[in-house]
Amino acid sequence: MQINPQEYAEASRYESLIKSYPGRPQYILAIMQDLQKQYNYLPRLALTMISSHVGVPVSKIYAMASFYKAFSLTPKGRFVFRVCDGTACHIKGSETLLDQLYQHLGIKAGQTTEDGQFSLETVNCLGACALAPVVVVNGKVYGKVKPGDLEEIIRECGGQCHVS
Amino acid sequence: MKVKINGQELEAREGETILELCLRHDIPIPHLCYHPAFGGQGACRMCLVELKEPGRVNNRLVASCTYPIHSSVEVTTESERVHRLRRNIVMLLARRASQNPWMKELVEQYGAPSLPPVQTEPADCILCGLCNHACEKMGKTAIWSMFRGIEKRIATPYDEAADECMGCAACAQICPTQAIKVEEDAATRTIWNKKFELVACRRCGKNFATREQIEYMRESSGYEVDELCDHCRKLTLAQNVRHYSR
Repeated sequence: MQINPQEYAEASRYESLIKSYPGRPQYILAIMQDLQKQYNYLPRLALTMISSHVGVPVSKIYAMASFYKAFSLTPKGRFVFRVCDGTACHIKGSETLLDQLYQHLGIKAGQTTEDGQFSLETVNCLGACALAPVVVVNGKVYGKVKPGDLEEIIRECGGQCHVS
Repeated sequence: MKVKINGQELEAREGETILELCLRHDIPIPHLCYHPAFGGQGACRMCLVELKEPGRVNNRLVASCTYPIHSSVEVTTESERVHRLRRNIVMLLARRASQNPWMKELVEQYGAPSLPPVQTEPADCILCGLCNHACEKMGKTAIWSMFRGIEKRIATPYDEAADECMGCAACAQICPTQAIKVEEDAATRTIWNKKFELVACRRCGKNFATREQIEYMRESSGYEVDELCDHCRKLTLAQNVRHYSR
């Protein structure tokens, strides 16, 4: 694999993580989960490195990465808003929450703000239906969220609301 | 192993699947994702047959391409139940590839009701996966099934020209619906967003491979590759043999 000098620093960062696993196909998912956790997405270079480490073609690695919703192929924001859109949350108004977040941040589900601060995702169910509607921000759970609460949550993350 | 296929008693070979046994005896079973080069994938479900196993009361449906014969079973390859399922499969596939001529033929053959197409843009691919396996067999695996659900499609990573692709077009050749686009002019071939230089046979002058294919043949075999097309290679070989057999 050819690596130019600019990529070298990047590569060595991924290398220690990837090399901490044995080079066998059954570790692909674990490596990808680690990368996703650390970088909030799966960098392209890292996928090629996984491929040569475990000896599986890049196409199959990419197929796995694109199959699972837990992995992102594009960089995510520092704060990832996961709005639950399961049945209970949907009925309890998760659509309104998504609308509100669009008003505040200008992003729709699957998008990231230009400053790289916020990403918005929907999930199908978080298993916390009693707290519907649920929003999870970087692992912190907010239950029974009202549209008006979102502004406060965004402020907590150091964000600016466009509409007050 | 003796098995009964549609009432007819046949001898199955060790490890043979129902589909292989039937094809060997010219008993037709429709199949989309099976190919003798790769065996069954059990993906398309077109080859479902009714199976009566010893010690079981009810018949069950199995994909004949992935069912190795291991006991004296009784198989029915055509029945109302099987036909209904095949018709449904065709109906659903036709929803993806509504405009494909090959698909239209299948729809007619099975009398499948038509549903409004899912995509706004008509697709040809029915995701049988034969191209993936062809590419893998060539030793490259430049393409695979990417994404999932309704977004699932065959592609190269990031939809870009893949380093692995050598432009052999084995994928396009095996595709039952001609879904893989290959563009060729006098000197180049474009496939999977990558352009290849074509190499002409030094004897008859016909384009027969890409530069990358020749390179790959040389690397994997360790021999210099004589730039001859299939036909001319056989001719040259035959001439050499004649020289020796005198």
